Amino acid sequence: MKKESSMSLRRRKETAVAAAVFLVPALLVIAVFVIYPILQSFITSGYEWNGYSSNKSFIGLANWAELLKDKVFWNAFKNNLLVMVLSIVIQMPIGLALATFLDKVGRKGNVCKVIWFIPMLMSSVAIGYLFRYALDANTGFVTAISKFFGGGTVDLLGNTGTVLITCIFIIAWQFIPFYMVYYLAGYSGLPSDVHEAAMVDGATESQYFWQISLPLLKPTIKSAVVLSIVGSLKYFDLVYVLTNGGPSHASELMATYMYSNAFSSYRMGYASAIASGMFLLISVIAIVTMRVLNGKED
Amino acid sequence: MRKMKKLAAGSLAACMFLLTACGGTKDAAADPGVSEGAGETAAAGDKIPLTLWHIQTGTMNDVIQASVDRFVAENPQYDVTVVEKQNDSYKSDLSLAINAGTLPDVFITWGGQTMYDYIDEGLIYDITDLMKEDGYADSFVDAGIAQCSYNGSIYAVPVENISVAGIFYNKDVFAKYNLQEPSTIAELEAVCDTLVSNGVAPFALANSTQWTGSMYFQYLATRYGGLEPFADAAAGEGSFENDAFVYAGKTIQDWVNKKYFCDGFNGMDDDSGQARMLFYSGNAAMDLMGSWFVSTIAGENQQFLDDDKLGFFPFPALDGSEADPSLCLGTIGDNLYCVSASSKDPEGAFHLIQSLLDDEAQTERTANGKIIPLKSFSSDNEVVNEVLDTVNSASGIQLWYDQYLPAEVAEVHKQTSQEIFGLTMTPEEANAELQSAMTSYLNK
Amino acid sequence: MTGKKKGLKLSSIVIGVLVVFWFLVCMIPFFFLIMCTLKEQFELMNNGVFSMPEGLYLQNYIDVFTGGIWKYFFNSVIVMAVSLVLLLALSALAAYPLSRWTFRLNKPIYSLIVACMSVPIHVTLLPIFMMSVRTGMYDSIWALIGPYVAFNLPISVFILTTFMATIPRDLEEAAKIDGCSLYGIFWRVMLPLVKPGLATLVIYDGVNIWNEFSFALTLTQTAGNRTLPLAVQEFQGQYSMNIPMIMTVLCISILPMVIVFIFGQEKLIKGMMAGAVKG
Repeated sequence: MKKESSMSLRRRKETAVAAAVFLVPALLVIAVFVIYPILQSFITSGYEWNGYSSNKSFIGLANWAELLKDKVFWNAFKNNLLVMVLSIVIQMPIGLALATFLDKVGRKGNVCKVIWFIPMLMSSVAIGYLFRYALDANTGFVTAISKFFGGGTVDLLGNTGTVLITCIFIIAWQFIPFYMVYYLAGYSGLPSDVHEAAMVDGATESQYFWQISLPLLKPTIKSAVVLSIVGSLKYFDLVYVLTNGGPSHASELMATYMYSNAFSSYRMGYASAIASGMFLLISVIAIVTMRVLNGKED
Repeated sequence: MRKMKKLAAGSLAACMFLLTACGGTKDAAADPGVSEGAGETAAAGDKIPLTLWHIQTGTMNDVIQASVDRFVAENPQYDVTVVEKQNDSYKSDLSLAINAGTLPDVFITWGGQTMYDYIDEGLIYDITDLMKEDGYADSFVDAGIAQCSYNGSIYAVPVENISVAGIFYNKDVFAKYNLQEPSTIAELEAVCDTLVSNGVAPFALANSTQWTGSMYFQYLATRYGGLEPFADAAAGEGSFENDAFVYAGKTIQDWVNKKYFCDGFNGMDDDSGQARMLFYSGNAAMDLMGSWFVSTIAGENQQFLDDDKLGFFPFPALDGSEADPSLCLGTIGDNLYCVSASSKDPEGAFHLIQSLLDDEAQTERTANGKIIPLKSFSSDNEVVNEVLDTVNSASGIQLWYDQYLPAEVAEVHKQTSQEIFGLTMTPEEANAELQSAMTSYLNK
Repeated sequence: MTGKKKGLKLSSIVIGVLVVFWFLVCMIPFFFLIMCTLKEQFELMNNGVFSMPEGLYLQNYIDVFTGGIWKYFFNSVIVMAVSLVLLLALSALAAYPLSRWTFRLNKPIYSLIVACMSVPIHVTLLPIFMMSVRTGMYDSIWALIGPYVAFNLPISVFILTTFMATIPRDLEEAAKIDGCSLYGIFWRVMLPLVKPGLATLVIYDGVNIWNEFSFALTLTQTAGNRTLPLAVQEFQGQYSMNIPMIMTVLCISILPMVIVFIFGQEKLIKGMMAGAVKG
């Protein structure tokens, strides 16, 4: 008896040491490149600093007070929320529909699969440049199409009313393929005999989809939603290249606003406050979403 | 998954708690700014590496490269790297380099408050003595040297251009509709109305870039009130809510409503040249631009100059205003070439700058439509001479607001001027916001 | 029976139309892109967007290939290769104990790593920039590797852990009886079994790293030290308004990933399945 427990103790110790050996490298990287920078951002947010001056003065929470009152920041946050909601509304159903189609046709759909996935393989920068020219009010293809049908020039990016929604559609264009593959993976994880059994029972395809596969895909959909939310809130690349937040902050996102404060207005301290505020907001939203999604499951 | 997510949520919250608990300890980012000099670790043997950043485009790239090649041929001890930077992101690039302590040996600034800030920070090498050698400084026009000076010392060489903004136009379009160069704003509006009724956009404008549209604001304010309103506002003695700025904003919005600017102007950026395309093709008739425009065109569409399509007239006068209509908006020298204080060989770097204006370079630059800020400069290009006349007869020069103002206020100015163009703010609101940014900067 | 067939037909038509529609949505921008690359600078303006190019004009490609794009390309390849190797090693190491062993800190550590998935990289951008300056890595491709590994690590650990959890324990037990140490089991038993999972990571993280922009923009400065996504920017500085030229750079930067995807798509989906379904 005694011998056994000392053995298990030794075993446990051995496991603990091995676990440390296995985990330390990864944790170290995360500590250095994720956790430490987050702390650092919070610290810098307490300073008034232009980023290069040796003259860096501690101003306590003044940056945070300014952030709370900063209309542009909250407008950017609102834009992020809009991107988030519309990303879910647009990307999830289309992604699911495409995946359902590909799942049905199987290997025959391989060409479609590859073509449909291409937008995802492009970098956001490339997409940004591509659409900057493609949507040009005078030489772009939307104007070309409009003129073909007798319309006038279409200015999507220079118009405060349309610029954000245009960005959202381009973002959807970019990410739908990702969710398509994600759902496709979800489908291929479903037991294949379920479909046969349902068909034998006389179910139609649409009944099968709504009553059987959709509920089975629920976990996949949930994690896709979480990924989409987090991704939308921290979005940067495409908007930076395409509009840089303009015109008149109409497509400003939290991340682009932070970047221009840091590197165009030379306000490093305030930019850090924006970054930290962004982190807090995203964390809260992510936590709430996970709670809500998990609550529903119970 | 469910459990995992709960846990994840929990640990996130824990992280945040930790973060807030730790805030305010320790000094952040031990003094950046000073670190090893630029472009160290040269692979080229014993050669002294020098790096030069510029933002010229098109054929001017080749002119600069040729100057540098001559410099290296004469001074084989140097190994020079030339980097062409993109104009619109140059400011961020420079800020990153300053932060990182990797300023190139030679870089450009646009003068004004930003350059003074750099000088105060000790980032720019004092070249007064080098400039005075053999009276080199005296060969430049005085206004150019003035722009490069701060507290009695010279910190930069005004290499590029006498850059004043004016209205460039497509002569073919003007001829087609029988239009004359306007000399008052009322006449200009009449020209615009004719163009609009003929389906031609009066002005090509790429205002995603912001400084492009801001020039209209600056000129209109200057025509209304002269130099004082801005000088006072920037010094904290006046205000951006002055009538001059209200007039500028209102006029711009009036023009936007009358469709004086090309379609989609707020979404296009100047670097990608979408607006210039319209100008070249005659779909837009005019372009309010700095006089570097001549060399931009020479660089990317020489044909346009060869066909003698380019015309120029100064920004028209405002009837009934007492402001001097000869005032110009711009800068003498445009890109001011500075030597980094961290350069290992500031003298070499200075001579590198000089090579950009050696005799051969002067010829090439002149051929490229540049208006070199040298007293000896002359050109046989008609448009260039018109610009030169405008400058020479100017009673004063208004430096670009966005270069005169400190960076954070300049950003607000560019933003609010874009808002005015987008009709998303009234001129009063925009000017109030600019004023409050100015006040909060001055109160620091 | 016939009624059902008719219904099926109608719905097939609708589906067919939608499939073609989506095909167009995906392809039109690319069509635009490729048409542009084959045109001369001013052709775009004069002839309209959808016109066919006037003859096969390949000068853009020649100019881009001789204009120094290779430098960016090789930088991208090196950064991606080194980051991937580290990423695979670290995530496999971390995923193993997390998926297999019971020890007190297992769950907290796992949650911490997974929680990092939602950290916006821009919060860390400025501090990492300062850090790279202080360590002297600023403006070299090596500055990119740390952040790339760190920010792809959470999802990689997440995918691999779920993957490893599906592997039956018998093999490990057998190895244990044979006297294999914990490290030996990992190396000789586990690693070969999770190869498909690792392949997924190669593709998934590979695409991410290949296209990454923000860190590359901030942590590098000289053209010779930059990666492919920045080539577009640099070329724009050089060619200013030569739109077809810029489009050509875009086109070239996409190609490698398209090729990789065509060959790797099966594996990508299989691995995502592990993450998506079991999660």
